[in-house]
Amino acid sequence: MTAGALPAEPIEPIEPGAGPPRPDLGATGATDTTTSVSLAQSPDPVPAAPGAAQLAAPPVALYVHVPFCVSLCPYCDFVVYAGALARGPRSQVAPFVEALTAELRLRADALDERWGSARPALGSVYLGGGTPSLLAAGAVGGLLELIARRFGMAAGAEITLEANPGPDDRGDLAGFAAAGVNRVSFGVQSLDPTELRALGRRHEPHDVAAAVDLARGAGIASLNLDLLYDIPGGTHDRWAASLDAALALGPDHLSLYSLTLDDPDAEGLTGPGGDHLPATAGARRWRERARARQDDDRAADQYRLAVERLATAGFRGYEISNWARPGHESRHNLAYWQRLPYEAVGPGGHAFDGATRRWNAARLDAYQAALRPIGGARPRLPPGGAEPLDNATAAVEAVILGLRLDSGLSRQAALAGPLGPHLAWALDRGLLTETAGDRIVLTTDGRLLSNELFARLV
Amino acid sequence: MARLADRLHSGVVTIPQDRLRNFSIIAHIDHGKSTLADRLLEVTHTVEGRQMMSQVLDSMDLEREKGITIKARAVRLEYLAKDGLVYGLNLIDTPGHVDFSYEVSRSLQACEGAILVVDAAQGIEAQTLANVHLALKEGLTIVPVINKIDLPSAQPEVVMEELENILAIPREEVILASAKEGIGIVDILEAVVARIPPPKGDPEAPLKALIFDSHYDAYKGVINYVRLAAGTLHAHDRIRLMASGAESEMLELGVFRPQLVPVQLLVAGEVGYAATGLKNVREAQVGDTLTSAVRPAAEALPGYQEAKSLVFAGLYPLSGEDYPLLRDALEKLHLNDASFTYEPESSVALGFGFRCGFLGLLHMEIVQERLEREFSLDLIASAPSVEYQVQLIHGPVITIDNPSLLPSSGTIEEIREPWVRLSIVTPSTYIGPLMELATNRRGAFEGMDYLDPQRVLLKFELPLAELIVDFYDQLKSRTAGYASMDYEETDYRAANLVKVDIMVNGEPVDALSLICHRDKAQSLGRQLTERLKILIPRQMFEIPIQAAIGSNVIARETVRAMRKNVLAKCYGGDISRKRKLLEKQKEGKQRMKRVGSVEIPQEAFLAILGMGEE
Ligand SMILES: Nc1nc2c(ncn2[C@@H]2O[C@H](COP(=O)(O)OP(=O)(O)OP(=O)(O)O)[C@@H](O)[C@H]2O)c(=O)[nH]1
Ligand code: SF4
Ligand SMILES: [Mg+2]
Repeated sequence: MTAGALPAEPIEPIEPGAGPPRPDLGATGATDTTTSVSLAQSPDPVPAAPGAAQLAAPPVALYVHVPFCVSLCPYCDFVVYAGALARGPRSQVAPFVEALTAELRLRADALDERWGSARPALGSVYLGGGTPSLLAAGAVGGLLELIARRFGMAAGAEITLEANPGPDDRGDLAGFAAAGVNRVSFGVQSLDPTELRALGRRHEPHDVAAAVDLARGAGIASLNLDLLYDIPGGTHDRWAASLDAALALGPDHLSLYSLTLDDPDAEGLTGPGGDHLPATAGARRWRERARARQDDDRAADQYRLAVERLATAGFRGYEISNWARPGHESRHNLAYWQRLPYEAVGPGGHAFDGATRRWNAARLDAYQAALRPIGGARPRLPPGGAEPLDNATAAVEAVILGLRLDSGLSRQAALAGPLGPHLAWALDRGLLTETAGDRIVLTTDGRLLSNELFARLV
Repeated sequence: MARLADRLHSGVVTIPQDRLRNFSIIAHIDHGKSTLADRLLEVTHTVEGRQMMSQVLDSMDLEREKGITIKARAVRLEYLAKDGLVYGLNLIDTPGHVDFSYEVSRSLQACEGAILVVDAAQGIEAQTLANVHLALKEGLTIVPVINKIDLPSAQPEVVMEELENILAIPREEVILASAKEGIGIVDILEAVVARIPPPKGDPEAPLKALIFDSHYDAYKGVINYVRLAAGTLHAHDRIRLMASGAESEMLELGVFRPQLVPVQLLVAGEVGYAATGLKNVREAQVGDTLTSAVRPAAEALPGYQEAKSLVFAGLYPLSGEDYPLLRDALEKLHLNDASFTYEPESSVALGFGFRCGFLGLLHMEIVQERLEREFSLDLIASAPSVEYQVQLIHGPVITIDNPSLLPSSGTIEEIREPWVRLSIVTPSTYIGPLMELATNRRGAFEGMDYLDPQRVLLKFELPLAELIVDFYDQLKSRTAGYASMDYEETDYRAANLVKVDIMVNGEPVDALSLICHRDKAQSLGRQLTERLKILIPRQMFEIPIQAAIGSNVIARETVRAMRKNVLAKCYGGDISRKRKLLEKQKEGKQRMKRVGSVEIPQEAFLAILGMGEE
């Protein structure tokens, strides 16, 4: 498999079940199942009739969680194992890849059983983490090959790999590209040395430039940089400088996240079957101190600055936290917001089949024990949980996720629905506005205050 | 012995009156009453090892969480004494906190004796004195116990001296014990049997039973806890409540072990419960006398002096439609806690609710929490206040327990506020800081007695209003936790008082009004608006908060408009988590009260309590 170039026209959402059934499961890049619906006219995600049963469908996207990092960032609540588990003689990476392979097989078996071989190929694969760039290029190649064989890969499918920009964890970018990766997302966080230190990050600003050069040199056609604002001790000017420095590196996509110090323990997510790991005592202390140095007003100003600057630079803020040059919207992330079905593997991975949300538990030991049982027993699916959605919940999700996108919702359908009065309130308060295409979308104010609306909907 | 114990435990034996002993356990808070009760229950096999847990009588969730006794609790024990006879003991474990001294005094009236527990390391404290005086007033025999002698810091000698000097308790009478280690328990039981007189009362006379407590049971109706002063009560007697006149066929009669265990009869001197079957809680109130409908007593027992409420606050349902539920809950809870009062009131800000009177702030907190837990209600309490007497110009004296109802200053001749006599027991090193604290609170020093060379009893007079606002916390923090206090109401005195109103977003919020001394109004207004600024979360618009005396604004703060409330973090495909975070935000909003267009959290109405010293 070669690195597929991204299509020139905008990435379209993929409708579940659309397009002809894929004739040959074994072949890679079998049939292009994408339709020609453009993003702005995307099918409205609000279920047609409230009360209609939630329809399950086979996945069009696959998330692969690689839970290793060289060191643990104090603000991180992804499922991550660091230090000796991530590299060196006691590294758990190689056995993990075996387990991952086993899970991919079991998930594919289950999909075959449920949907038969006539299901659409994947439009996107996302290797996230953690730091998937810690994997050997050969391992990435092996995984992608297995995925293509068992899940099918649409022509031009978006294949993203998350990488850290530092020299010792950016990995073999040329090798990844050769293995089929066509989109790289760098966890840059900031291009200010003081801020990077405040965040406990290991890389320096100049590492980012080097990493971007390497990725481009390897032929990566779509490049994302993750940046954080509302960093403790950060300032408006530092943020402006970071943003400009990032733009100067010529990325195709920017994800701007507000540093959010959630507490998975308090949320009840960290029990034995939970999809998160408990924070260490040190991380808790760090977060407590950092929270005191965050500032909503500053954050709001930083966000507004980004909205302006990125628009000038030709980026489209197609989602609350995501900006892209035309044609570089992340197809994989769009699947989440458009409520398309996606599969997920790896500890802490979250999947959705259109009707039920499912997740794997976070514990690596339990994950390994299930998928690589001792004594030659057959691998089992790892522990986890599932939440079937009732119609009301699905409708609320559709509105909330739909409004996160700049395509918004169809005005008429949304206002006529049961959540209509809340949406009318938001229009009245200037959180929502009407667009030419008879759609309603969040204003910049509305994005910043979106929870005020969303919390009324749930 | 073991076999006898089994027999005793399985059923309740009838014991002649001269072998009954009724006693309370009294002490300062945390000196070990409930732990001692545990040991007494164990030694008498009333509760077997399997069911035993620490402070088994503190069965309310709130009591277990707070680690203190809130409700007095009665238990019937049977004890095979060294003289070879079986005695029936009715024990009442009482609370130690000053707010619950009404519980203690009612318990004492059902007894002939009291075990006085004093902590061997702490010695006599303020409530030790207060409770001993209550017991002596009732003419009870006191069995003094020095507890916690297992502690390395125990000083039984010193404490014995204190008892002798301050309470005139001869050291020969004192029993040394450790409730924790089980030391001295049998000595205590023997002393109870030997020293406390049996109850009197003629079992053949017409029935008179005093209701000292009660609770409501969905199946059995009102269950009255009674102590028989005269006569005999059978399980299926027809009974009459003398004050209300209500009659009913009894459903069940029994004793506390500590759970309810049915018996066939109770005779004069005994303590137990009577399931009346009455559904109307007003027909069988605490303090009423229960008698036989067939052969009624000629006159009722004196009953109880009503508890005098010292602190008043409005209790409002978070959502208006719960008002009838709240009314019902107050009625039922009142059965189990006759010491609070309630009557309907309404507030512009909070809607319909009840003005409630409490014995103190802890009592207020407990009543609110019990209403919320036991009746699944969400409540808002308005700022607590004391009761003022207002002399109108050329008019009558009116009482005001809700600051927002204070008439305009032009019509007022004089406002009088309640004062208390405050006793503080403290190591003498803290006399200075405590003098300063009391003076800051408009207190007057009354006198000082040395309990021993290191500890003193300080007496002050103080306006009650100054006491309810975090005085106790200040007392503890200024004395490293060593001082204890007790107070009793004395009289009303005139003072230069004014009403401070609070406006939120331009609208007066009556539930936040308060009355205070004119000299303190300015700084209180400033502190209060500052606290409110912190307690009221930012909303989508700017919210001015003002404090005013009449039309004169004395302080102003602003809650700035919220500028950011967005999930802008990478949650990947974890949509459930996003949804749950939003659900949590929604719950938070639902726990706030909407006043005008502003959402005000519960704590804001109690902001006055968190006000520290300047
Ligand atoms: N070391 C020691 N600790 C004791 C002894 N008796 C009680 N305690 C401890 O003292 C604390 C208070 O005991 P309680 O029995 O709850 O005290 P209380 O007097 O019932 O308290 P209130 O009902 O709240 O007034 C608990 O932590 C007990 O474990 C004792 O003999 N020795
Ligand atoms: S590099 Fe990313 S995934 Fe790894 S610990 Fe840091 S924030 Fe978490
Ligand atoms: Mg107790």
